[in-house]
Amino acid sequence: MLTTRRLPLMAIMLLWSFSSNAADWPEFLGPRGRGVAVDQAIRTTWSEADGIAWKAELPGRGASSPIVVGDLVVVTASSGARQDQLHIVALDKATGRIVWHRRLWATGRTLVHPTSAVAAGTPASDGKRIVALYSSCDLVAVDLAGRLLWQRNLAVEHPRSGNDVGMGSSPRIIDGTAIVQIDCQGDAFALGVDAATGEDRWIVPREKIASWTSPLAVTTPAHGDCVLLQNPQGLDLRLAENGKSVWSWKGKCEGIPMTAGSSAQLYVPGDGLSAVSPSGTAAQPAWRSPKLSCGIASPLVWGNSIACINRAGVLCIGDTADGQIRGQVRLAGSFWASPILAGSTIVAANKEGKTFLVSTDGEPKIIAENELPGTFTATPALADGNVYLRSETTLWKVAAP
Amino acid sequence: MRATVWIGVAISAGLMTSAAVMAAEKPQSVAEAVAIATKLAHAGGPRGPATPGDQAALAAQADQIAAIPAAWIVPCLAAFADATPAGANWLRSGLERAVDQSGSTLAVEPLAAVVADVKQPARVRTLAFSWLKDRDQPRAEGLLDTMLADPALDLRREAVEKRLAAVSATDEAAQKATHRECLAAARDVDQIERIAGWLSEHGEKVNVAEVLGFVRKWRISGEFDNAKGVGFATAYPPEAAKPGSPEAREWKVVESADKHGAVDLNAAIATKKGVLAYAVADVVMPRGGPAEVRIGSPCAVAVWVNGTPVMAHEIYHASEAIDQYVATAEFREGANTVLVKCCQNEQTEPWAGDWKFQLRICDSVGSPLATQAASEKTPN
Repeated sequence: MLTTRRLPLMAIMLLWSFSSNAADWPEFLGPRGRGVAVDQAIRTTWSEADGIAWKAELPGRGASSPIVVGDLVVVTASSGARQDQLHIVALDKATGRIVWHRRLWATGRTLVHPTSAVAAGTPASDGKRIVALYSSCDLVAVDLAGRLLWQRNLAVEHPRSGNDVGMGSSPRIIDGTAIVQIDCQGDAFALGVDAATGEDRWIVPREKIASWTSPLAVTTPAHGDCVLLQNPQGLDLRLAENGKSVWSWKGKCEGIPMTAGSSAQLYVPGDGLSAVSPSGTAAQPAWRSPKLSCGIASPLVWGNSIACINRAGVLCIGDTADGQIRGQVRLAGSFWASPILAGSTIVAANKEGKTFLVSTDGEPKIIAENELPGTFTATPALADGNVYLRSETTLWKVAAP
Repeated sequence: MRATVWIGVAISAGLMTSAAVMAAEKPQSVAEAVAIATKLAHAGGPRGPATPGDQAALAAQADQIAAIPAAWIVPCLAAFADATPAGANWLRSGLERAVDQSGSTLAVEPLAAVVADVKQPARVRTLAFSWLKDRDQPRAEGLLDTMLADPALDLRREAVEKRLAAVSATDEAAQKATHRECLAAARDVDQIERIAGWLSEHGEKVNVAEVLGFVRKWRISGEFDNAKGVGFATAYPPEAAKPGSPEAREWKVVESADKHGAVDLNAAIATKKGVLAYAVADVVMPRGGPAEVRIGSPCAVAVWVNGTPVMAHEIYHASEAIDQYVATAEFREGANTVLVKCCQNEQTEPWAGDWKFQLRICDSVGSPLATQAASEKTPN
């Protein structure tokens, strides 16, 4: 029953719901995992001493990206000699002050390769709650006030899940279903749970092979909301609601950089880059470009362009119609973070702390190289023209111009 | 406008929490709070939530714990005993919200008493220590002075760090004595290596493999077929027959000289793919009962103790680490036999060439238990 005592609370929550929808970057690679914000202009230059709105030391290490939900920036981390302390931290977007900080114990394995982290998967939010997945296969949800809503200890439920290189897949929330893919040599599966309750909506076994890709939201005219799952043996499109298979495509795929694109055409890293055209319940290869090669970073697609950063640090831009190279530019360093697009500028952060801004108007051209201290393997986030860069242990907010 | 929105958000976040707590009834007594905490700590059993609907009920119980007064927080810590993995996190989430709200009203001495009580679970004492440190850092760090041999690994680690930090910068003899003391106390591999490195740099050679207690003397039999991974589930003579029996196949004595006790099967047998080997070690245990078998390998491995299967991991080239896989096994006082099956697959990547393992037998905090005779003989 709605009482007058609760009206102010309702009003404030309404205000929250309005504020939370504007300029969010709610999951890995932003809205729907596209990494594109064509309406956002960012500043051109920054350094430790210039253009930084705030920086915040995090309570542990991680390779996960920050997300932006309403006025919160949320980031995960792990700490301790055994990296078994899991953290979710929410910071005030305006000031960098910690608003709340939830801690949990890992219930699964926490061994990871030094280049990765137990907090490698980026959390996802539907604007009401935040869902986080750690390398320990702990899947947890908290509300926007940091209250634990549910937890699924997937390594307890599936004792041979996970791998000791470190699980890096991020959860994706599609129409109320939080979807995770646990790709490993042991108990491999994809799971869709009710994002509100944590209850199973579906679970399907996967090939016993490791991958570090994340589920991708794909909407098709015939099937509506779907999720694309990728491992080194191919692609698997399933209905987000119940996990039923729509089509699968067997072909060489990478295990780390993930497919980009939409239901019209998907761009699949693997032996160069392949375009795959879904049609009904099948998918056909359209073209393959050996020159559009991805290293660790995922490809970036916008308009009729696609950009890949190869293992040598060369950023190539190709045409989505046929894969022909339009231009390329040599960056420097190694790229674990995926490139994103702000306006018409590609933002590419290398591991060594240098963020390249590459103009895509005409021939690709480096317009700035901005350096911050630390090791950066997390993909940057964008909101309101602000860039959020996460080093292993520090979160930086680069102020909007 | 932005500030207004933020104030609204801050208030709404606070009110949402309060509203959630208001929705659940606050415990009326410390006994009721402990009862709720105990129920929460046993959530779901060992395999996860018992029924899907439990999660909302558990969140409501965590809200009840979040609402308890500061004085009831320490009594609720007792509920962590025998907590399930999920239950421990539910209880922690509620208690830490109560701690966040308690401010200075959470008394430090009861926390210090929990930290000092070695009969309490390590996780409880470590949690209490972190809360104590947030409130009274000198008091917390003072407790570390007696914790060099603490059963709580995180506290022991901090005690070692404190002792190392306090050593005189000018008195090398005192520095060496402190490092030796800390080497004996440390149980974390990275800490042991750092201390051993310092001692080596200062003229005191340390055998890290010996400090960590790796089993280094083995008898090796191989290779056996593991093409397409068929060998992992195949019981070849060394595991089908009595481990180490002469009929198994020719046995070769190998003693690891590796810093981390690794037994390199490429060197001991041949650099091959799609094969497996067995390794047998005779170890002497100071007492009978359970002990932890800790093995690390980039290859698929299985372990038996005195003929009883202990663990099996069919994972190939997905990282390796000291103590990668840990399982508890029953040992006899005195002589025991450990059998390892180590399988190489057919991956051709340059990083998939290693065929090796390392093994040690420890108590629950990582203190090595097993010893070996001075020499091994090849069975006839």
